[in-house]
Amino acid sequence: MGEGIGEGGPLVRGSMGIVIILALLIASLPIIMTYSTLILTSFANTIVSSPWVKFRFTLENWRLFLEGKLAPTAGVVYTPEDILRFIVNTAIVAGGVTLVVLAASVTSAYAFSRMNFFMRSGMMKLLILLHAFPGVALIVGVYAIYVFLNSYIPRDYSVYYSFIFVIIARASLEIPMAIWILKGFFDRVPWELEWATIVDGGSRLTALRTAVLPLVKPGIAAVAIFAFLAGWEDLIYVLVFLPPHEKTLATYIESQLGSGTLETTYLPVVAAAGTLYLIPTIIFFVVTQRLLLETMSGGLKG
Amino acid sequence: MARRGRQALFFLLPMLILVVAFYILPLILTAWISFTPLTNWRVRDQLDDFVGLENYVNLYYLARYDPDFHKVLQTTLVFVTFTLFINVVGGLVLAILTYLIDERISLAYRLLWLLPRMTPLAVFGLLWYYFFYGGPQGTLNSFLLKLGVIDEPVRWGTDPAMLPYSAWAIIVFVNGLVGVSYGMIIFYSAFKNIPRELIIAARVDGARTWEVIRHILVPMVRWHIVFVTVWQLLSLITSYTHLFVLVQWSVVDKWYGTTLALYVFNTAFFDVKNQGFAAAAAVILVIIGSILGLVTLRIMRFSQMISPPRGDI
Repeated sequence: MGEGIGEGGPLVRGSMGIVIILALLIASLPIIMTYSTLILTSFANTIVSSPWVKFRFTLENWRLFLEGKLAPTAGVVYTPEDILRFIVNTAIVAGGVTLVVLAASVTSAYAFSRMNFFMRSGMMKLLILLHAFPGVALIVGVYAIYVFLNSYIPRDYSVYYSFIFVIIARASLEIPMAIWILKGFFDRVPWELEWATIVDGGSRLTALRTAVLPLVKPGIAAVAIFAFLAGWEDLIYVLVFLPPHEKTLATYIESQLGSGTLETTYLPVVAAAGTLYLIPTIIFFVVTQRLLLETMSGGLKG
Repeated sequence: MARRGRQALFFLLPMLILVVAFYILPLILTAWISFTPLTNWRVRDQLDDFVGLENYVNLYYLARYDPDFHKVLQTTLVFVTFTLFINVVGGLVLAILTYLIDERISLAYRLLWLLPRMTPLAVFGLLWYYFFYGGPQGTLNSFLLKLGVIDEPVRWGTDPAMLPYSAWAIIVFVNGLVGVSYGMIIFYSAFKNIPRELIIAARVDGARTWEVIRHILVPMVRWHIVFVTVWQLLSLITSYTHLFVLVQWSVVDKWYGTTLALYVFNTAFFDVKNQGFAAAAAVILVIIGSILGLVTLRIMRFSQMISPPRGDI
């Protein structure tokens, strides 16, 4: 690659470029500041809200958080909470959502990419509409189903039922987009590869598994990551469907700041919870940068 | 033909089951519930009681006479209008600026602006909880106290003296930060599809940066602007999750932080647990949403975008 604007260099050079970069920096300050406040506060003895706050570095917040002593001012009668369990619950929901999304979207995306069937284009349009569908209208109906089925579930199993239900219900919200993204990846795989498998007497399913799937690994990775993060970040579904004692990191943080609890909440400890909760997102960001940006725009170009 | 149909059905089955169970059936149920007196989720007793249009009539009376519901409707209007403006115009500005600068710096900025969208809801709420915190430790208070703009800490979203504007400003700002990245990504990827020669030629002819933006970049994404506007409009009318957290944690006033979508959610699950009434309001939202959704499909000319399948045997 050579130099100059014609060869992939910046379109604006010199002082104008610097002005733009600085303008973007100023516009980004609220984002930079709020995230640093959160992360720094988790290692400090007070809320690090501005550059001139004097704070002491400490791991005390992390210790209190991981020991489940989330409200140290609440007094001696306070029972520690099982933080590990909250983390495991969050991971169960996120992992479950990933599996359900992959199971339901890979085969459908393949069919949309490779087969012609009744109502194909109608179904694809429907999926786009579903993606944009008012979630709040759905959740009322979905909860009615949940309550209705719950009366048939023996009490001992009702916790498992809640988890399975919340996972499938949450995964369903991600499926329309997952199918569109994956279809885009399938469309780029040359059809001749599967043809060879099918001519050799393999079924469509074998062709998909042996010839196509290895070539769409980035697409599957992208969909899996999006699904995992969707399950990981969810607050509303977990809050509504899981019993109050089965918390995830989201509902734990929510319960700390929700009405009526503020007197006992120690904000730096909540910052530790928030920072821990943010780690998978940050890792994902660092590792997949370009894949992330391309998938987000590609999924909509169809 | 029948064999082919069966084969496609086999591949589509998992998706179809989930779509029926978690979209179509719930939608029918929500519409059904809107004609019942369902409260406290007593589905076994109340789901076959019909009250006709009572819930819709109540909704009408509330819209006419209830001061709190008036606040909700006002908030919905203000929230959707201003956030939409930020999402579209802000997204366009971000896309243009990141398109013009050096690719590595651009990537860093685009990722930074994408971060709010990918951040877990509870953490994102927490960030703004600290920022607008009413005590002297809150970031905004801390800055303004230091600069001498205010003498004592302000409870930004809830101080009656500043309502409703402060609460509205906060919900628009916080949601704008999440929504703006959508336009940024769509516009940026559209810019990337513009042949570079076009811009270089203009440059060689002596076009200034501003002229390149005005006469090349913006006209090239006309359709994208329309699409992002309609799509974001749809998403803003129906989104409630970020507002839920802000209201629940008292970052903003309850009524001046509640839009119609959040009102439906809180009515069904938290406040009065009146699902019949909530469902009626939800049905209104669905009708608005469906119309906007169909408009979007028209605009995007989806039929042309859906290419015929390859490898159909």
